[in-house]
Amino acid sequence: MTVADVAQAIAGSVVAAPEHAGNEVRGAYASDLLSDVMGNAQDGDVWITLQKHVNIVAVAQLKNLSAIVLIGGRQPNDDTLARAAEHRIPMVTTTYSAFDVAGLLYQLGVRGRRAS
Amino acid sequence: MHPGAIARAVMEAGLDGIVVCDHNAADNAAAVGRAVGATHRTSIPGMEITTEEEVHVVAMLPDLASAGALHARVAAALPGQNVPDVLGWQVIANEHEEVLGFNQSRLAGATTWSLERTVDEIHRAGGLAVAAHVDRERFGLVGQLGFVPPGLRLDAVEVSAATPYRVGCEQYGQPLGLATVTGSDAHHPKDIGLSVTFLRMEDVTTPELLQAFRGEHGRSVLGGGRPMDELALHILDVALNSYEAGATSVEIAVLEEPEIDRLTIEIRDNGRGMDHETQARAVDPFFTTRQTRNVGLGLPLLRQAAEAAGGRLLVRSMPGAGTLVVADVQLSHVDRAPLGDLETTFMVLITSRPDVDLILAHRRGSDGYELSSADLAEALGGLPLTSPEGIALAREAIRRCETGLASHASDPPAAGRPGTTFKEPKHD
Repeated sequence: MTVADVAQAIAGSVVAAPEHAGNEVRGAYASDLLSDVMGNAQDGDVWITLQKHVNIVAVAQLKNLSAIVLIGGRQPNDDTLARAAEHRIPMVTTTYSAFDVAGLLYQLGVRGRRAS
Repeated sequence: MHPGAIARAVMEAGLDGIVVCDHNAADNAAAVGRAVGATHRTSIPGMEITTEEEVHVVAMLPDLASAGALHARVAAALPGQNVPDVLGWQVIANEHEEVLGFNQSRLAGATTWSLERTVDEIHRAGGLAVAAHVDRERFGLVGQLGFVPPGLRLDAVEVSAATPYRVGCEQYGQPLGLATVTGSDAHHPKDIGLSVTFLRMEDVTTPELLQAFRGEHGRSVLGGGRPMDELALHILDVALNSYEAGATSVEIAVLEEPEIDRLTIEIRDNGRGMDHETQARAVDPFFTTRQTRNVGLGLPLLRQAAEAAGGRLLVRSMPGAGTLVVADVQLSHVDRAPLGDLETTFMVLITSRPDVDLILAHRRGSDGYELSSADLAEALGGLPLTSPEGIALAREAIRRCETGLASHASDPPAAGRPGTTFKEPKHD
C-alpha cells in the first residue's frame, strides 16, 4: 500500500511532495494533538489530522511518517506546504472527515499499530 | 464572575494586580478594571484567544481602547453563535453587578487565526503575547503543536498552577529564552490567587510587564508559584515588603524543630516599621490604602496559613524601629503547607537587592546553615552579586546548604559545627 493508493481511496489530492507518493504506508494514526502524535505514531504511519500548522511537517519528519492526510477540506498554510515539499513529506487533502478517512483506510486493510 | 466578586477575591488573595482574560472577548475588562481599581489594585485588560490550532494565547493589553480594538477583530474571526442552554450565558456586567447584555459569539470556540497570526494581531494591538498554560496537554501550545514553532514572537510563557514554577522555568521559559509567569487561570473567584507571579516593577502596567519579561531597566520576573501551598512564597512576599519598607538589613530564619513538632519562620528587618494602627490593618486583607500595601499585604494570607496548621502569626513593629514577623506551624499538621522552594526564594532575595544586608538561616533539628549576602560578596572579591559569577556562586552556596540539609532530614540529632565563612550543613 502506497500513499498514492491512500489518496485514491479517499478521493484526495496530493498537494505536497507528489514525487514521494510511492512511500509505503505501514499503518495509520489519527490525532490532532501533536504531542500525542510525537509520542504514539509509528514509523511509516499515515497521519490523519485537521491540524495544518507548519509544525505538523516537523512531527511527520521526526516520526518518519509516510504521509499527512488533511481532512475536512482543509488546505495547508503556505509555509506548511513549502516545508512539506522541502522535507519530502507527501500531504494529501480530502473532503472526508477523520472518521470516514479512517473507515475507508481500514477497509483497505490499513491498521493502527501499538508502540512496541 | 461578577466584577465585584473578582475585586474582593483580588484583595483576599493579597494581589497587587491581575490580568483579566475572557475567552476570545474583552467586553468585561472595563467593569472589572473599575471594580478592582476602586480597591487600589490594578486589573490589566487582556484576552485569552483560541487559535485555529486550539492553542490558547493570552493577550495583555496596554489599555481599554486597544483591548476593544482587538476584541472587535477577534469577534470577526470567531465563527458561530453562542448556544446559552449548552454553553451558558455569556454575561456582560458592570461593576454594580448589573447585567448590561450578552455576548452572542461562541466564545468557547476557536478563531480562524493561526498561532502566528494571533501573535501578530496581539502585537499590532500594542499587547504582549503569552502562551497560556504551556504545560497543559489540552489547549497548551506544546500539547497541541508538539513544540514551540521556531521564530514565534512570544513575550513570555505561562505555566499553570499544576506545574511547580521552577520546573516550568526549566522546561519551557529558559530553553526559549523567555520569561516564565504563572497564574491561577481562575474561572471562579475562589481560584484567584491560586498561583501568582512576583514581579519587580514600578507600577502594574503592560509596558512595565514587558520590561519585566525582558529583564530591562531593573524590572524583572522574580518568581512565582502557589502561595497557599508554599511557605517559601510567604517568606519571599514578606521579605520583599521589608525591601519596600526601606530595610537595609533583613534576617530570615527558618527553624524546623521535630522534637517539639514546630516549624517557625522569622523575618526581621530594620525598615521604617509600622505604628500600632497600621500593624492591625496590615493583617486585614480589606484594608486598602496605598501606604499600607507596602508593608505587608501578604500577612493576612500568612496568618491564614499559620492558623490553619496549628500555629499563629505575630507582628512586632514600631515606626523607625523595623518589623519582626514570626509565623509558626505544627510540623506534622495535616494542613501545613510544605516549605517549598527556598532556593529560588533566597536567590531572588539575594540577587534582586544586593545592597541589602541579608542573613539567611535554616535549621532542621541540630543541623543547619547560615548564609549572608555579605559573606557571599566577600567570597566574590569585588564582583557584584548580580553578575553571572555572583548569581552562580550564590545559587551553588544555597543549593549546597539546602541539599546538605535534605540529605540529613531523617538523621538522628547530632551536634552541629560552627562554620567558617558561612555555616554549612554537617557532612559526616
